[in-house]
Amino acid sequence: MSARDLVADFIVPVVGALMCLTPAATRPTLQFGVRVPRERAGSAVILRERRAYYWRTAAIGVCCTVVAVTVEGYGSWWLSRIILLLEVAANLGCFWAARRKIAAVKNAGDWFAGQRQTIVTDTNWRTDPPRFPVGWLIPALAVTAATAAVGALRYPDLPAHITAGLGGPGHQAPKSVVSVFSVVACQVYVTALWTGLILIIYRSRPDIEATDVTASSLRYRRFLAAVTRALLTLIALVDVSLLLVALRQWQLVRLSGPGLALPVLPFAAGVLLLAAVAMRAGQGGSRLNGNLRGLAPAAGTDWDDDRFWKAGLLYVNRDDPGIMVGSRFGAGWTFNFGNPTAWLIMAGIVAAPAGLAAIGAAAGM
Amino acid sequence: MLLSIEPDGPVPIYQQIRDRIVEAIAGGMQPAGSALPSTRGLAVDLGVNFHTVNKGYDLLRQEGLLRLNRKSGAVVRRDAGSGPPDPGWAQDWTTRLRTLLAEAAAQGMPAEDIGRYCRAAVAAFAFPAGAEEGTGSEGPL
Repeated sequence: MSARDLVADFIVPVVGALMCLTPAATRPTLQFGVRVPRERAGSAVILRERRAYYWRTAAIGVCCTVVAVTVEGYGSWWLSRIILLLEVAANLGCFWAARRKIAAVKNAGDWFAGQRQTIVTDTNWRTDPPRFPVGWLIPALAVTAATAAVGALRYPDLPAHITAGLGGPGHQAPKSVVSVFSVVACQVYVTALWTGLILIIYRSRPDIEATDVTASSLRYRRFLAAVTRALLTLIALVDVSLLLVALRQWQLVRLSGPGLALPVLPFAAGVLLLAAVAMRAGQGGSRLNGNLRGLAPAAGTDWDDDRFWKAGLLYVNRDDPGIMVGSRFGAGWTFNFGNPTAWLIMAGIVAAPAGLAAIGAAAGM
Repeated sequence: MLLSIEPDGPVPIYQQIRDRIVEAIAGGMQPAGSALPSTRGLAVDLGVNFHTVNKGYDLLRQEGLLRLNRKSGAVVRRDAGSGPPDPGWAQDWTTRLRTLLAEAAAQGMPAEDIGRYCRAAVAAFAFPAGAEEGTGSEGPL
């Protein structure tokens, strides 16, 4: 099975399903990137646009999957990737169409008029912060260490040329420390990158609702704990996928036909687990234990900060020292594109694999 | 402690931060010796500029309510049980209180209602047992 077949058989339908279901994980007060007062969350325009989004994106997902499976084995290797890009672009178009209609009704009706708009924080978040679950990082570190140990033991017996690349038979590269341990470098990169991002998330601000302060603070703690554990499990499973790739490169395991897809399975399982946890918890824990509502009196309604969200997806606020904030669409976090530190981190995320690729190219990979 | 601000409100944000912390100290939520978040941490949590929080904390330091230290961070210095305020403070406070009460009188609020609101506000503060009768620093408004 080639990389193109995998895109058709796994990525296109999974991406389509995740984008279709994303509104279900989004906060009721943040509809398609538009902040609305809680009492307006069930407005006719919102319900109508949600229904339309579900139907449109479901149809796009089915069409793209059918096309991707149909063209399997034909045309260029890039064809399946183009289908994936078109699918994402079409789904984003559905998102922006819904956003435009909801924002128009919100602005016409001046939904926040007369409301006391507040930002609320719980100082206990800083004086009694949640602990990063270090124990859940051990599997990823153990898999990486095991891969490096197997590579070190196998190195003397490897032939002068080994298979390079992550998908398909790949091409042959001369044996060297760089070519043999490139997969271990990928594992270190993935583990370090995501661990670093999670640590930043732990220092970011919690998503606390002004209309439900104490309960939403408790729910956010549970959400953060659950998503962090799912992310650390995903990191471990990505490392297992890379271990399987390494075992094939080091000629310890021979895979052929559909067996070539085996390394993808742990990664796919991790993505589905993370998606399931995010869907169950909802953004900031908004789908967790609704009966906690009302522990403390409302401190007004959430501040209408739409002006800082470009296209409803990108957060740009120069005055906000936060590097990452809760995302508006789906469950998770996004960078503050108005923060120079966030740009430095994004540059590092891009530069590290580019540097690894350059080292690999220099080593003849 | 829950801290809420109105970013688009008429009161500057640093003043709102200062006011909410003073209320938390008086209400017993932040007793003397308790820690407040670092300026950077609170700025991230509120999504406001670091200097805005710094200005609010600095006001509290000047008023003697907060101790700022590089190692221990921001710590509440005094509360309702810390004894009489510093000399001279009551005079300044009385001037501000007169203005506040004058606003109610100018709007036509009856004296009994003004007194009732004042008693209700004071009743929400966390005075130590037996301290409600005053400390001898009272004076004519």
